[in-house]
Amino acid sequence: MKSIFKKKNLLLLGATFASIALVAAACNHNDSSVSSETTARTASGPGPKVGLVFDIGGRGDQSFNDSAAAGVERAKSELSATVSEVSPNAAGDNREELLRLQAENQDIIIGVGFLFGPDIEKVAIDTPEKKFAIVDGGPNDTSPSNLAHLLFAEHEGSYLVGVAAGLKTKTNKVGFIGGVNISLIQKFEAGFVAGVKSVNANAEVEVRYITEPPDFDGFNDPARAKVISHAMYESGIDIIYHAAGGSGAGLFADAKEFSEEMETKVWAIGVDSDQYNTVSDDLKPYILTSMLKRVDSAVFGIIQDVDNNNFIGGTTPLVYSLATDGVGYSTSGGFVDDIVDQLEKAKQDIINGTIQVPSSPTP
Amino acid sequence: MTTTEPEKTNNPIDAPTNGSEHSGQARLPSVSILDATRASFSNLFKKHRWLLWIFLSIAGVFLLTITEFFAVPETMDLTSSGTWRVALAYSVPIMMAGLGGLFAERAGVVNIGLEGMMILGTWFGAWGSNTDLFITQLPDWFNGPWSGLFFGVIGGGLGGLLHALATVTFGIDHIVSGVAINLMAFGTTRYLSSKTFATKPLEGGGLTKSPSLDKFQELDIPLLSGILESIEKLKWFFISDFARILHGLTTKLSWATVLAYAFVPFVVWLLWRTSFGLRLRSCGEHPVAADSLGVNVYKYKYYAVTISGMCAGFAGAFLAIHLTAGAGYSEGQTNGRGFIGLATLIFGNWKPVGTALGAVLFGFADVVQLRDVNAIHALLLLVSILLFAFTLIALIRYASTGFSNRKYLIQVIGTLIGAATIFVWYMTTKTVPTGFPQAIPHMSVLAVLIFGATRLRAPAAVGMQYRRGHEN
Repeated sequence: MKSIFKKKNLLLLGATFASIALVAAACNHNDSSVSSETTARTASGPGPKVGLVFDIGGRGDQSFNDSAAAGVERAKSELSATVSEVSPNAAGDNREELLRLQAENQDIIIGVGFLFGPDIEKVAIDTPEKKFAIVDGGPNDTSPSNLAHLLFAEHEGSYLVGVAAGLKTKTNKVGFIGGVNISLIQKFEAGFVAGVKSVNANAEVEVRYITEPPDFDGFNDPARAKVISHAMYESGIDIIYHAAGGSGAGLFADAKEFSEEMETKVWAIGVDSDQYNTVSDDLKPYILTSMLKRVDSAVFGIIQDVDNNNFIGGTTPLVYSLATDGVGYSTSGGFVDDIVDQLEKAKQDIINGTIQVPSSPTP
Repeated sequence: MTTTEPEKTNNPIDAPTNGSEHSGQARLPSVSILDATRASFSNLFKKHRWLLWIFLSIAGVFLLTITEFFAVPETMDLTSSGTWRVALAYSVPIMMAGLGGLFAERAGVVNIGLEGMMILGTWFGAWGSNTDLFITQLPDWFNGPWSGLFFGVIGGGLGGLLHALATVTFGIDHIVSGVAINLMAFGTTRYLSSKTFATKPLEGGGLTKSPSLDKFQELDIPLLSGILESIEKLKWFFISDFARILHGLTTKLSWATVLAYAFVPFVVWLLWRTSFGLRLRSCGEHPVAADSLGVNVYKYKYYAVTISGMCAGFAGAFLAIHLTAGAGYSEGQTNGRGFIGLATLIFGNWKPVGTALGAVLFGFADVVQLRDVNAIHALLLLVSILLFAFTLIALIRYASTGFSNRKYLIQVIGTLIGAATIFVWYMTTKTVPTGFPQAIPHMSVLAVLIFGATRLRAPAAVGMQYRRGHEN
C-alpha cells in the first residue's frame, strides 16, 4: 500500500525535474522569452523597433488585429522597421506582462484595442524613455506624454454605411447589432442611425446590443448574434449593420440562411475591415458593404511619427476621420455601385463640415 | 460519508403531510373537499406520470398567455413560434453540457472541465465538417455536419479521457484537473487552428475562426404544422397561443436537435433501468461498497467521464455547426455555456429530465431577452403570478391543517411578500436593469438552492478521490 505513495513521490520528483529542465531550456533561447500561449515573430531592419501586442483573437482574425498587422507590415517595408508581435492568451490577463516584455526591447510599443487602456498607461508611466500607443483608447487627465491615443471617427464611417442602408432598404426597416453596450460601440450606432435617417426619414432602425458591460462576451458569440439577427429579419428588417467583432460571423451566416429559407434577399453590413474579402464565397453575395476602420493607417502613421521625431502623446488623442481616410466604406462586390454618388456626396459634406455626425445616440 | 434521506424527498408530487391525514374531524367541509380533490389529483399523477407533464405544460402555457395578455409594455414574443423554435435549438448545448455533468457526477467525478471539452467540441466540429480542406485522402462521408458532430464528440471524449486519467488514475483533485483542461483547451485549439484553419484564408479561415460549414438537414412534421398553422390563425385566446408554441417546436427542427432531445429519455433508461447505470451510479454513491460487490470502479468512472466529455463535445459541435447558422468555429464562442450546463445539473437535482428542463428554461430566457427586451420585463409579471399561485397552494395546505401548522403560515407570508415585491417592481418600471437577463441562470440556481435545499441531493461520493483498497 505504501508503495503507491512512493511511486507517487517518484512521479512528482520526475515532474519537478522535467519542469526545471523545461525552464532551463526556455532560458537558453536568447530571443524574447515568450510563453507557449504567445507567438512572437521578429524581423530585423535598421528602422524603428516596434513591439505590437494584439487584442484577444490575435493575428489572423481578419478584422481588427489583421488590420493593425497590415500597418506594421507596411512599416517594415517602407521604414525598414523591426517588428515583434505577441498575442495575449485567450483570457487576456497577461496584457501587462506582454507590454512590459515589449518595452524592454522595443522603441515604440503599440497595444491594439481599448482593453489595453489601464495596463498600457501603467507601463508607460513606469518606462518613460519608451514611446507607447494605444488603438481605440481615449486619453484621460493623467495620461503620460509618452503614450499616444489613436482614435477613429467611427461615427462618420457608420454614417456612410447608414446612408447605403437607408437607400437600399426595401422594407424601410433596418437593424443595428452592437457587441457590447459601451460608448465606443454607441458611436457606431449613432452614426449609422443618423445616416439612415438622412436619406430615408421614414425608415425605422432597431438597435440591439448582445451583452452589457462588464460582460464582453458579446464580441465573440456568433450564436447569440444569430438569434438577434434572425428575430430582426423575421420582423421585416432587410439590412443589418453589426459592430460586434467576431459575433458578426453569425449575422453573415444568418443572412444567407434567412434569404434561402424565405426566398427573399436580406443584407448584412460588415465592420472594421472589408468583410466581403474575409468571408467564404457562399456568404459574399450577402455583404452589402463594410465600414472600414483603417487601423493599418493609424498604426503605420504612429510608427512614421516616431521615425520622424513627430510623436505626440499625452492628453490629446490623434483622431483618424473621413478627412484623413482613417474611416470609410467598401465597394467590394459592387452592391453599392448604383448609389456611390450619394455616398461620395455625404462623405464630402462630412469632410466640409456641412453634416455634423452625432457621436453618441440620441435618447 | 453522509447518510441521506430516503427517496420520498425527491418526489415532485407532494406526499400528503401528516397534518392532513389525521385532522379530518376538525375541518370545515369545504376544506375537506379541497383536500379530497388534491389527494385524488395526487394519486392520479402518481399513477400516470405523463398526465402530470401534460398538466404542467398546459399550466405553463396558460401562464405565458395571461402574462402576455396583461403585459405592459406589450410583447408578443413569449408565445411566438419563432422564439420557441430558436429556444429549442439554443438550449441544446446547455442541456448536453448538463447531461455530460450528470454522467460524471453520478459516477463521483466533478467535471469543471466541461467548458474546455466543449471548446474541443467546437474546434473538432468545425474541422470535421470540412476535412477535405485538410486531408484529401479521407472518404467523402467525412465531410458535412454529421462528420463534424462525430469528430466533435470524439474531441470532447478525448478531453473527458484526459480528465479521467488525471482524476481516476492519478488521483488529482477534480477541480484542479478541470480548470487545467479548460485552460489547455484554449491553447490546444489555438495551436491546432494555426496549423489548419489559418492556412485557409481564402475559404474564410483564420487563427481564431474556421471556414464556414454546412448545417444539419431540417425536418417539418408535414400534416401537423398545417393544422397548427390554421389554429394559430383563429386567434383564440390560449388555444392559438398553444398552437403557436407547438408549431414553433415542430417546424424546421434539425435532426441533431431531435437526436439531442431523444438522448434525455435514453439517459434515464441507461442510468436507471440497466445494470450498467446502476453500477455507474453506485460508484458515485459509495465506491467502496460497489467495489466490494465486484464493480470495477475505475472502469466505470472512466466510462462515465469519457461519456461526459463526449456529451460536452456534442454540445460544442452543435454550437459551432448549427447555432451559428454554419459560421463555424470562432475562438471563445462557448462563453461559459459549459458552466451554465453545470448549473442546470444542480437545478435539475442531478436528474436527466430536471437538467433538460433547466437547460430549456435558461435557453428560453436568453433567447427571449435577445429577441425582445419587453418580453423579459413581462417575465417579471410571470414570476409574480407564479409566486402568487404558490401562495394559494400554501394557503390551501394551511387551511387543510386547520390553520394550525406554522410552517405553512410562513410559506404563505413569504411567497406573498415575494409576489407583491416583484409585482410592484414590474408596475413601477418599463424595462429591467441591463445585465439582469444574463443573471437569470445564476439567480434561478440560487433560488433553487435556497428553496429546494432540502430536496437537492448530490451523489454522496461526488468529488472524492477513490483508491482501491483504501477506505476514504
